[in-house]
Formats: sequence, C-alpha cells, structure tokens
Amino acid sequence: MKKALNVFLAAVVFLAAGLIPPGIAVAEDKTITIGGKNFTEQYLLPELARLLLEKEGFKVNLRTGVSTVIARQSLEAGQIDMYYEYTGTAYTVFHKQDDAEIMISPEKVYRWVRDKDAKKNLVWLDPLPLDNTYTIMMRRADAAKAKIRTISDFGQYVEKNPGKLTFALESEFWERPDGFKRLMVVYGFRMSPADVKRMDMGLTYLALKEGQVGSAMGFATDGRIQAFNLLTLEDNKSFFPVYNPAPVVTRKTLEKYPEIADILKPLSEKLDNEAMRILNASVDVEHMSVSAAAEKWLKDAGLR
Amino acid sequence: MNLFVFLQENYSTAMYLTWEHLWMVGLSLLIAICTGVPTGIFITRNKQLAQKVIGGANVIMTVPSIALFGLMLPILAVFGHGLGKVPAIIALVLYAELPIVRNTYVAIKNVDPALVDAGKGMGMSKWQLLREVEIPMAVPVIIAGLRTAVVMIIGIAAIAAYVGAGGLGVFIQQGIARSHESMVLAGALCVSLLAVVVDLAMGFLEKRVTPRGMKP
Amino acid sequence: MKEEAFGSPAAATGIRFLLLAAVFIAGIAAERIGLVEYLSDPWEREYVLFLAGQHLYLVAVSMAMALVTGLATGIVVSRKRFRKFAGVVMYVIGLGQTIPSLAVLALTMSFLGIGSKPAILALYIYSTLPIARNTLAGILSVSPAIIDAARGVGMSPARILLEVEIPNALNVILTGIRIALVINIGTAALGYLIGAGGLGDLVFTGINLMRTELLLAGALPITILALAGDYLLELLSLLIVPKGIRMAG
Repeated sequence: MKKALNVFLAAVVFLAAGLIPPGIAVAEDKTITIGGKNFTEQYLLPELARLLLEKEGFKVNLRTGVSTVIARQSLEAGQIDMYYEYTGTAYTVFHKQDDAEIMISPEKVYRWVRDKDAKKNLVWLDPLPLDNTYTIMMRRADAAKAKIRTISDFGQYVEKNPGKLTFALESEFWERPDGFKRLMVVYGFRMSPADVKRMDMGLTYLALKEGQVGSAMGFATDGRIQAFNLLTLEDNKSFFPVYNPAPVVTRKTLEKYPEIADILKPLSEKLDNEAMRILNASVDVEHMSVSAAAEKWLKDAGLR
Repeated sequence: MNLFVFLQENYSTAMYLTWEHLWMVGLSLLIAICTGVPTGIFITRNKQLAQKVIGGANVIMTVPSIALFGLMLPILAVFGHGLGKVPAIIALVLYAELPIVRNTYVAIKNVDPALVDAGKGMGMSKWQLLREVEIPMAVPVIIAGLRTAVVMIIGIAAIAAYVGAGGLGVFIQQGIARSHESMVLAGALCVSLLAVVVDLAMGFLEKRVTPRGMKP
Repeated sequence: MKEEAFGSPAAATGIRFLLLAAVFIAGIAAERIGLVEYLSDPWEREYVLFLAGQHLYLVAVSMAMALVTGLATGIVVSRKRFRKFAGVVMYVIGLGQTIPSLAVLALTMSFLGIGSKPAILALYIYSTLPIARNTLAGILSVSPAIIDAARGVGMSPARILLEVEIPNALNVILTGIRIALVINIGTAALGYLIGAGGLGDLVFTGINLMRTELLLAGALPITILALAGDYLLELLSLLIVPKGIRMAG
C-alpha cells in the first residue's frame, strides 16, 4: 500500500513542479507577450505578428482568447506588451466618445485615439487598411422577402411586426456604446428582450445559419458571412465608427525594442478587407489551423 | 474535416493543452492535499468547528465555478493576476478542499474505536495514535476523497479556459467560437478521456490502498 | 461505513441561517459595486427575470427527466434479479458525472446543435447519477428484517416496494435529489455557452466586460436558487419522511 501511495504522491508532485509551468513568461531578452481577443481575426493578427517577430529573433508569447475589455486592461496593467485594437472600439468603448464626424473618418479617429492613448503610455503603431465593422446579418432569402436592405428597413420591420424577428448577438455588442442598445436608439426602434438572444462569441453565425434566429450580429471580415450565404445590412445612418486594427504597444516595450514598428509595418500595408476575409475563411470555413493560415499568407505575400 | 484529421494535424497543440491542464490540476491538488488533509485531521478534535468548516466548504461548492472565477477577477486584477492560471488555481484549490477535508474528517472519525482503544492501551500518545493507527486506517477513504476531488477539478479546469487559463477547455471554447466542430469534439473527448482515465487510476489506487481486512 | 450525521436539525438550521446571512452581506457589498443601480433599470430587471426564467426552465425539465430515469434505474437495479448489474449500470451513469460538465455540453451540442435542447440533455445526464445511486443505496439499506416481516405478512413484492422499501429509503433518496438539484442549478450556468440562455449569460458577460455588477446579477441568483432548492428539499424531506424512519436514519 505504501508503494502505491508513494507513486501517487510522486505523480502529483511531478505534475505540479516538474517542468517550467507552461505559459509563465520567462524574463528573457527579446521576449514579447502579445494579447488577442476571442474571435478568429484576433487569433490571426497576433499569429502573423509572431511569425514576423520570430523571424527577427524575438521570442513571442501569445495570450489570446479574451474579451475586448480584458485585453485592454491587461495591456494597461502590463500583463501583455501589445495587442491589436480597433480605432473605433478604442474611441467609443475606452474613451467613450461619440462624435460622428471623427468616428467615420479613418484618419481622424486614428489620430484621436493615438494622441489620447499616448498620454497613457500606450503607443499606436501604423493601422491596417481593413475595416472590421460590426454588421447586422440576415439570411438572404428572408431579407429579400421582407424587403430589408438597410438597418433602417430592419428597424421599421421590427416596429411594424413586433415579435416576428429575433436577433442573436454577443453580449459585448449588447453593452458597448457602439452596440445594439444604442443602435436601437439611433435608428428609432426597440426589440423586446425576449427577441434578443445573447450568446457567446461566434455562435451568432451558426444560430443564423441554422434558422434559430432571424437576424444576427457579425464582423464584416468574417469568412463565414460568405460561406453561410448571409447578407449584411447597410448602415445607412453611419452609426458604426471605423474599425481599423493597429498594434497598440506599451511605451516601455517600444522603447526597449523600437524595431517592432518596422517589423510589423508590412501588415499595415497589405492586409485589407478582402485579404482578411480570405484569411478568416481559410480558418473558419476551410478549417486550416491559425498558424498554417498565417504562414501561408505571409509566404504568398512574400514576407516569409 | 473530421475529428481524427484534426487531432493528427494539431497533435502538438493538443499535447501542450493537455500538459497545461494537468499542470493546473496537479498543482491545485497538491496545495489542496497539503492544506485539506491537516485541516480534516485538526477538526476531528472539535465537532462544532468541524460543522462550521465543512459547512463553509459546502457553500463554496454551491457557487458555480464560473461565478467564482469571475468574482476573483476584479480582486486579483489589482495584483495584475485577474486572468490566467492564478485565479484558476485558487478556484481549483477551493473546490478540491471539500471532498478532501470532509473525507479526511469522516475517515478518521470512523476508525474502529476498538483499534483506537487498543492503541491507547498500548500506551500510545495522541500523536502516535494519529500516526500509527488513525491515519493509516483512514487512508482509503481519504484517497476516495482525492478521487472525487481530482475528477471534479479536471472538469472545472476545463471551464477555466474562459478566464484565460489555458488547458483543454481552449479547444472547446475556440471551437465553439469558430464554428469548428472537430475542435470542439477534440476538446470534449480529450478532457473526458483524461477524467475517465484519472478516475480509473484513482479507483485502482483506492483498491490497492485498502487493507484486505477492510475491503467490503 | 457509517456516515456521520451532522448534528441536530437545529445546528443545520443555524448553519443555513449563517449562509443566508452571508448571502445578504454579499448583497450589501454588491450594492456598493453598482448592483442595485443596475437592477433599478426596469429594462435590466426584466432581462434578469427573463434569464432566471430560462434558467429555471432548463433545471425543471432536466430534473423531471432525471427523476424519472434516476428513480426507475435505482429501483430496477435494486431488484434481486438485476443486482449483479448494479456496478456496471452505476458506473455508466456515473460517467456522465466523471466527464467534465463543459465537455458533456459540448458533446450534446455536437449532436443537437445549439439552444436549450442540448443543454437540457446535458443537465439530465448530469443529474441522473446522484438520484439513481442514492435510490439504490437507500433501498439496499432497508433492514432485511423489515422486508422479511412484510413478506411474512403476505405482501406482494410490488407492495413491499411501494409501502416498505421506498418509504424507508426516502430519506436517502431525497438527499440524492438534493445533490442532483444543486449540481444542476450550478451547471445550468454553462448553458449560455451553447446558446441556451439562463443566468450564465450575466456571469460570462460580466467577466468579458469586467463589470462586477453583471457578474453578481448572475452569480447571486444562481447561488440563492441552489441554496433555496437545497433548503426546500430538506423541508420536504422533513415533511414527508415518516418520523419513525427519520429518527432511525
């Protein structure tokens, strides 16, 4: 009996202490921790950055799969050194602004958040050309039948036919200032809570495709929109700001490794909506792994 | 893409996540054993205290694990550890405590009084009694408690993926988010297999450790 | 092996009171975190109640199913004819509990898609074991002397089951149902992840948005529901378990 007991205890201790615990960054030279949110594009961008950085001798730790708020707070707390944030998100969610004139101009909103965050010792590097805006999606056939093409059409339909249309969204989209709650106010309609189905990230596409809801929120660059044959409604009142992603780096990290800006620049030159959609689709639809898709894209773009 | 193709192509990731998962479970179990078993022994001296301690542990069990993770987030964020393995391990330790403390307590309390008397008659001190009679007799039930604990925290560790702790729950979380069925299945099956294997191994250990005289 | 009963009913009530007090204190702390402000918005209140309703729906349906299967299995496997299958049957049902709850949900989602159906199935799988196992244990623990006496009086096996075995096992059976209920209510929080709604919505959203008041708006009701369910079932067992049996138990 003693032997079995000892073997067991040894196994536990070995597991606990054995090798260096996974995930805890060892403070070496040229190590960067990149954060990322919990949707495919935000797994791809850090992966692309990692591949580019590793080529230049950096060691990169990834801490992806968290929400917007958590990513931002991790950056501010120094738990991560950088992550890709969207200009529109930073403008509306972190800085709580809503000046439409600034929001819909890519250059203006970028400069605004860059200047404001500089005071927090967060540096915005060059933005990428892609605009990953929120969209409202419907199945094509349904939209055609109900003659819905813009979000205004959508709002009017909801007002005239209460209870007939259900909407799936992710809880972040519900609560955010650039989210559904305010969208309903701006577009002048109101859906009852019973018709708004909140679900976790990524389920909205599936729910819409499977017919569980009549409409859903999505991201403009997601590869599943095309794959599931979904229609995105036009934001005729320009409610949504521009969402260009850019690497946001702590000043401390940038001062230590100023070359990061140049290493990551190629992404801000080449990754537009079309390219991102294809990248996203290769992961979400063709089920390539994130690293394989990133590698392939870099190779095709001549960067690897 | 089907499950086997996925596992083939992502073998190293799967192995890494399994290791991460086991590491969290192992460390938490170790801490829970080191704190729980002595506590269980200690409260056998005082019934009122025992009720309070075990009652308290019971309350923790009532709180759904994800809620416990979430509650620790703002508190630990102050120390820069809101996310990741730290809140996960703290929660895992807390959940593992009840089965361990309770089983230790019950096991020692249920040691055949005749044996305890015999020991006293032989002139053993309280400490000697504990070390040479009570604990050895209690080991099988303590192991049973460990078995319950470890299977439970393997499950809770899967949920910890949602607060950035990694582990096999990542396959489930990412798979659902990316509509990637094979990934979800891979995660679910790997962690289930892990739980079943560990449960069987612990069951085996339990049998090995039960003195022949005490087997039912 | 003897399980030690924890003190008198008075002590148990004392602990329960302390727990409820603790919940109240937590509630006051929650107020300072902004929970009260959150709930004073009628839209949000409506939503929390709606989610609570969804949560209870998941629990109620799955518990009803688990009761039927759990009791039936426990009873069937306690019959002399089937007793040798008891070990295997309990292990198979027990797999549902050994396997992590998140995995069970993910598996049912793979088969049934997203929504409340797979969640109910998963919760059902999760709740069956405690009920089945305690039904079996309770019936097996009925003193053979009593059964002999009943047989001696000429009772049919069916009557023995209904009028002797089950009433005597009721205490243990109800404990199993209590355990199942508490596990069920807690696990239902994960239903949100596969699109089933429920109070888990607020918990996960609260984590994602780092808004403690949302987290508490979800976690507190779940905890209160679990404690309440546990308490109500204990009351129920006090009411319907004949005094004589309870004392002997």
